Amino acid sequence: MAATAQPMQKPIKEANGWLTGLVIWHILILLGASAGVYALYTAQILLPEWVRWFSLGALLLMVPGSLGAILFIPRRDHRGRTLSLLVNYIGFLLCVLAFLQFIGVFAGFDELADRFPRSLPFFGIAFAGYLIYAFADRYENSPRRQRTIQRMGKIVMLAGLLLALLALIGWEAVPQFVQERLQVPILLLLAGGLLFGLMFWAMWRRPAAQAMQVNNARQEAIEGYLLLSPNLIGFLLFLAGPLMLSLYTSFTNWDGFGTRDFIGVANYAKLLNLTFAPLADARQPANQVVDVRVYDELWRFSFLGHSYLVAAADKLFWLALRNTFLFGILVVPLAVLPALGLAAVLNSKLAGMKVFRSIYFIPSVAAVVGIALIWQWMYNATVGWINYGLLVATNFFNSITGLSIVAAQPRWLSVSDTALFAIVVMVAWQTIGFNTILFLAGMQNVPKVLYEAATVDGADARRQFISITLPLLGPTTVFVLSTSIIAAFQIFEPIFIMTNPAGGPNNSTLSAVLYLYQNGFQRFNQGYASAVAWLLFLIIFIVTLIQYRRQGNTSYEL
Amino acid sequence: MSSKRVSIWLSLLVLFSLLISACGGAAAPAAPVAEEAAPAEAAATEAAPEEATEAPTEEAVSEAPAAEAAAEGDVAIRWRTRPDNQEEAGVYQSISDEIDAKLEGIGLAYEPGGSEGASYQDQLKTEIANGTAPDVFWIPGTDVADFAKRGLILNLAGQAANTEGYSNDDFYAGPMNFLTYNPETDVNDALWGLPRDVSTFVLYLNQDLLAEAGAPDPIALAAEGNWDWDAFVEVAAAVRGLGSDIYGYGANAWWGPYGTWMNAAGGGFFNADRTACNLNSPESLAGLEFEQRLYQDLDVAVPYGEDSEPPFRAGKVGMFQNGRWATPGIRTVDFNWDVVELPKGPAGNAGNWQFWGAYAVNANTEHPEEAWKLVQELTQAETQAKISALGTNIPSRVSQEAIDAFLTFTPPANNQAFINGLQDNAVAEGPLWKGDWPSYVTVMDSNVQALMTGEKSIDDFAATICDEADKTFQ
Repeated sequence: MAATAQPMQKPIKEANGWLTGLVIWHILILLGASAGVYALYTAQILLPEWVRWFSLGALLLMVPGSLGAILFIPRRDHRGRTLSLLVNYIGFLLCVLAFLQFIGVFAGFDELADRFPRSLPFFGIAFAGYLIYAFADRYENSPRRQRTIQRMGKIVMLAGLLLALLALIGWEAVPQFVQERLQVPILLLLAGGLLFGLMFWAMWRRPAAQAMQVNNARQEAIEGYLLLSPNLIGFLLFLAGPLMLSLYTSFTNWDGFGTRDFIGVANYAKLLNLTFAPLADARQPANQVVDVRVYDELWRFSFLGHSYLVAAADKLFWLALRNTFLFGILVVPLAVLPALGLAAVLNSKLAGMKVFRSIYFIPSVAAVVGIALIWQWMYNATVGWINYGLLVATNFFNSITGLSIVAAQPRWLSVSDTALFAIVVMVAWQTIGFNTILFLAGMQNVPKVLYEAATVDGADARRQFISITLPLLGPTTVFVLSTSIIAAFQIFEPIFIMTNPAGGPNNSTLSAVLYLYQNGFQRFNQGYASAVAWLLFLIIFIVTLIQYRRQGNTSYEL
Repeated sequence: MSSKRVSIWLSLLVLFSLLISACGGAAAPAAPVAEEAAPAEAAATEAAPEEATEAPTEEAVSEAPAAEAAAEGDVAIRWRTRPDNQEEAGVYQSISDEIDAKLEGIGLAYEPGGSEGASYQDQLKTEIANGTAPDVFWIPGTDVADFAKRGLILNLAGQAANTEGYSNDDFYAGPMNFLTYNPETDVNDALWGLPRDVSTFVLYLNQDLLAEAGAPDPIALAAEGNWDWDAFVEVAAAVRGLGSDIYGYGANAWWGPYGTWMNAAGGGFFNADRTACNLNSPESLAGLEFEQRLYQDLDVAVPYGEDSEPPFRAGKVGMFQNGRWATPGIRTVDFNWDVVELPKGPAGNAGNWQFWGAYAVNANTEHPEEAWKLVQELTQAETQAKISALGTNIPSRVSQEAIDAFLTFTPPANNQAFINGLQDNAVAEGPLWKGDWPSYVTVMDSNVQALMTGEKSIDDFAATICDEADKTFQ
């Protein structure tokens, strides 16, 4: 017993030594991170704003993390291990990323891309190696020969890849590289990365885990989070982070260049600032009833014999909202109902249906800019194809009837009455194909046995469609409706491209996202644009929530 | 060797290659520049010592090691302008190559910006915010205030004062008045850039269509001094009479065209010191009312908001109002065409614009001296002449030689119409130092469009326009 117990004691003793070191290490981190938080918060370290906030967030995580580790590790509480791993992992990542940034690795990607063509022949050699390797499959009955050929293939592949890399590298820059990178901050970052890595490894090892009383379930949980971490970090950095930054920006007056001046909810207050005023008569000027230094007339209406005026501090925002809702109300049925009918037709087993499915899907995969330009040309009132078609059709009709009807020549994109509708038609046309494919997939999942039973019961095709297909397409319909509504509320590109000025005529096609873009990127109002974005998000969120709440009523259990 | 070990070694090698390549980043892009610059440097060896005697700045000293590695010590300068077409982009590239060869110690990289439709300014602003904008870039005259007030472009007055032979007076006074305004001192002691070129509106004439309609010749009327609004309406109406799909006049829907009618009537966008809206003045309204008649009562114009260039190129428009930048495109049409100045309005002139844009220096450039040298080179008479030869714009330098050279770049035969437009009290387009131009123009555009399409009456327009527009001065 003693002989077997001694080897087990040694790792635990060693682990205890490491754990003592880790406590000291976390005390140092706590002090360093606290100083860092203070320096960053008081802006004593000059960094780009996003780097400052990012570093501040990371250090703020490290302070309580280290404090917890200091408290729990001496008690051999497993939470101390978790916190220690977390802090060291964050520290390691920060040091490594900063180190790579400082030595210019990320810029290196661009340089490698520039030199990529000269390595192409060697990639060709690597591909030849793969072909040799694959060729070995012919010799399944001769394993020795197969292995030899496979080995040859591997060597050629490896040689090709090595040569390609060598071709990519700018060897002439090596001395300069060494000279420029031997700087104290870079070496400190390298040392920091190594230390954090070493401490992470020390805590990760089995003896330390045993000493900290970590059971299998906890170990698996940590491993799971570790595997999840690249995605999680990516989400935090590239989605949640910018979103939060945009939320903060919406409470500031920021032009995109200088500092963000915190102004509270002033942006939201201006956006939502509406006023109502009774009018003496329907034609009474707005400047007699509202303060026109603040408000612009938005709408007049009569109710029970009295006239009223609605004015807004930001008229364009409300017009953009109105247009966006109107666009959604028009485009969603036009993009969904024909898609449902089309899917029903394409679901039949007639010859050539696959070709038609592809044809209807093409607009969905075509670039929206190209499509918008083509439709803009078609809509041209003077030389466009649509008006030309109307002219030809009218002339033909006149020739066979003897009438002299004047051909209608609508100004599709240049008058308020038709501009939004013209864009609705184009977007619906583009979206139908994608929705059709979704409906088609839903229809093909409906069990055939239901149709067979219905046929036996005497139900005709129409009855089957209404009583079987439509109810069972409920989840698909909800999905199609939700995505169509969200896409409609985010309409931007076609309006931006097809109308001149964008959002015209007379703001009749100004959408919420276009207004956001104009404020953020054309009028230097990033804070205001962020507020528009968050209000739009809120609206979309509420509409989608209602949609999904209703989904419960439309799903059927088979 | 196990596959795991091979993977590890390969990964390390990739990482190592990235590191080395990153280091090569300073040297690699400069190499082609240095090669291009080499002949010029060889030819300019005598000039080199003279340049070397200039007081080296701290920046220049710190650049020295990198510059040596960058072969021949070139400072890399990126610059951008907005070409109107691919051909113009090619000319700018060749100009960049020539200046690159000429300027000692500077390596140039020209980046053609997107066209007007590709949101050139939006992209530029985003790049400035991101710190990736070029060292020198072109911006429209109306944007100078926005860029200057936010500290995005350098005040070059100091460099200009120390530059031998430089004078603001070499350029047209209109643009320079705006480019030298200092919002902090309220006097003209700044320099935000130098104008790339200038331009004015003319009417591009489809002479075949005019002849077919039996309309009087606008060029002859202009020569006689009889080219006024009445004559213009007469010609437009005659052409319109040719058919339901033939129009007498066409212009695109932006502030330029409608501004000319207002200017010609004695009105304008702003009050005298450009601190308030002037769109409801009787003169401005008279100009707008006349234009509205062209679209509504007289019905002689391509519907407002429709792009007028395609129907003009298709031979369906008699007179198309546009600037010099449209000339290269018009040169490809297959009918007889020429240009004439805009008709004179009640104010006694045509109310034309003096359009311009300026080369400005990025406030975050690491090489302001070199950038200033580039700006000067880009606005030299010979550089501008090469661009003008394409027919795009008129040189921004005031010189008879520049005008004489411009007049030779035909067609159109009547190039003098552009010069006449410039000399006929043209109003320089300008930035709004005490207001928000993008917001102002949004208010103007939508209201004028409502007016021209008949959705709003001139009285309704007059009653509300300045209440709305004046908010952009707050």
